Amino acid sequence: MAANRNPVVQVIRRWRVQAYLDFMWMTRDFKFFLINVVSDIVLSLSGVMAVFLLAERFAGIGAWSRDQILFMLGYAALVQGLLEMFFRYNVLAISRRIGRGQLDHALVQPQPLWMALLTEGFIPFSGCWGAIVGLGISVWSWGRLDMAVEPGWWLCYGVHLLSSCVVVLAFSYLWSALAFWSPVGAEEISSRAIGFAWQLKSFPLDGLHPLLVNGLLSVLPVGFVAWYPCRVLLGTDQGAGSLWTTPIFACALSFVALIAIKKGMNHYGHTGSQRYLRWGHRS
Amino acid sequence: MITLLHKYGKTIAIVATQSLNDALWGLIGDFALRLFHVAILLSLWRTVMAGQGVVAGMSLEAVLTYTMVAAIFADQLAGRTRIDDDLWSGNIANRFLRPMGIYGQMLAEMVGGWIPGLLFFALPLLLIAPLLGVDPFPATWTAGLWFLLSLALGVAVGTALDLFFAACMVFLEHSVYALQRIRTTLTVLLSGRLVPLALLPWGLGDYLEWLPFASLASAPLRLYTGTGDPQDLIPLQVIWAVVLWVSAHALWCHNRERLVSHGG
Repeated sequence: MAANRNPVVQVIRRWRVQAYLDFMWMTRDFKFFLINVVSDIVLSLSGVMAVFLLAERFAGIGAWSRDQILFMLGYAALVQGLLEMFFRYNVLAISRRIGRGQLDHALVQPQPLWMALLTEGFIPFSGCWGAIVGLGISVWSWGRLDMAVEPGWWLCYGVHLLSSCVVVLAFSYLWSALAFWSPVGAEEISSRAIGFAWQLKSFPLDGLHPLLVNGLLSVLPVGFVAWYPCRVLLGTDQGAGSLWTTPIFACALSFVALIAIKKGMNHYGHTGSQRYLRWGHRS
Repeated sequence: MITLLHKYGKTIAIVATQSLNDALWGLIGDFALRLFHVAILLSLWRTVMAGQGVVAGMSLEAVLTYTMVAAIFADQLAGRTRIDDDLWSGNIANRFLRPMGIYGQMLAEMVGGWIPGLLFFALPLLLIAPLLGVDPFPATWTAGLWFLLSLALGVAVGTALDLFFAACMVFLEHSVYALQRIRTTLTVLLSGRLVPLALLPWGLGDYLEWLPFASLASAPLRLYTGTGDPQDLIPLQVIWAVVLWVSAHALWCHNRERLVSHGG
C-alpha cells in the first residue's frame, strides 16, 4: 500500500502512535500514574495560585476584577498545559537536545526535522493534566464573567491561544540556538527561558514601568503568554490593531527563531557534537 | 579536624567556580529571571496595597522589604541541596564512594552553589534596592540579628525537608521528577516566600504558619521586617529543625538500601 504523502495525515498518524505509546507508558503502573497526575495538577494549580489568592484577598488586582484575573490565570494555565502536552521529551526545552548532541537522533530518521519535533513530544495521557486544570479554571471564569460571547470571540480566543503557545515555543527555540555554539554552557538555556515564561505568565503587568512593559512585550515576550491577549479578549485593550498584535508578534518571533535555528544547524553541520565520550557517558 | 574542614572548603570552592565555568548562560538566565520576578512582584504589591494602609499588620513598606529580602536570600530561604538531582542523574552512587559523609557533601555543595548568587545577584540587588524604592535594611538591628539566627534555622529545616523528600523519592523509585516538582511548587507557596502568609485570604496564614514550610521563609522574613515575634517564631523553628532532622535521618537510613542507580 502506497504511503500517504500528505503531511497533515502523516502528522496525525505519528500523533496516534505517540498517543498509544504514552498510554502504554502511563498505565504500566498505577502508583506511577497517580503520582504523575497529582504532580501535574499540583504544579499547574500552584503556578497560578499565588496571584489568585492575592486577587481573592484584595478583590482584584488594580484594574482587573477578581473574575478577570481568574480568566487570565485559566488562559495562562491552558497555554502551559497545551505546550506540555504537545512538546514534552525536551522538544520544548530543545537546547537540551542540541547541547547534548541528541538532535542527531531526530536527524537520522526518515522524516523532516519539523515533523519529528511536532510529533515526538505529544503525550496526551500523561501530559494532559495541566491543560485540564487550565480548561477547568477557564470554564469557571467564563461562568463568572458577564460577557456577551459570540462565535467571533471564540475564534479570536483560539487564535490568541495558539499565538501565545507559538510565542513561548519560538522564544525557547530562539534562545536554544545558542546551544549550537555553546553546547555545555547553553544546554539548559531553553529550560530557563521556559521557566521565565511560566513563572511570570500569571502576573498582570499593568503597574510596571512602561519601559519594562515594552521589554516584556518584545525582547522577553512573557506579556504575550497571557496578560496582553487577555486584555484584548476581555475588551480592556481596544487600541487600534491590538486584536492582531499577539498573532503578528508570534509570526515575527517564529521567523526570527527559524533563522537562528537554521544558522545554528549550519554551524552544527560543520562541528557536530563532541559531548559523548568513548564509553558512552556525556562530558 | 583541619583536614575535614579543608575537604568541605575545597568542595565549596569547586562548586562555586564550577557553576561559573559550566553553566554561565544558565546562571545569567537565572539572575535575569529573578530580577524581573522581583520587579514584577514589587509593582504588584504597589498596585494591590495602594491606599490600603496597614493590612494584617503589614504596611506597604514592610511588604516591599519582605519581597526584596526574599529575592536577595532566595537560595538560602529555599534551603535546597542537590540530592534530588543526584538521585535523578544517578550521581548519588558516586557520592557513596567519596571519603566524606553524604550530608556533609550535600551541605558543602549547597553552600558552594550559593556563592555566585550572593556575589552577582544578591549583593547588586541589595545595592540597587533604594533605586527601586525599597528600604533593604531590617526594621531594627536586633531584628537583623534575629533574622540571621532564624535564617540559619530555616536552612536547617529546608535541608531536613530535602532529605525527607529524597528518602521518599528512593521509596517511590521512579517518581523523582514528579516529587521534585511537587516539593518545589508547594514550598514556594506554603513557605510565604512569594506572598506573606498574613496576606493570604480566608485566614489561611493562621494555619500555614504552624507548618514546617513557614519556618523556611516566612519566619526569617517576618523577623527582618519586624512583623513577627522572635519568642514565638524561633522556638517553633528549633522544634521543626530537630523533629525533621531526626525523622529524615531515620527515613533515609531505612530507605537507602532500596537505592538503585541506573543513571549516567
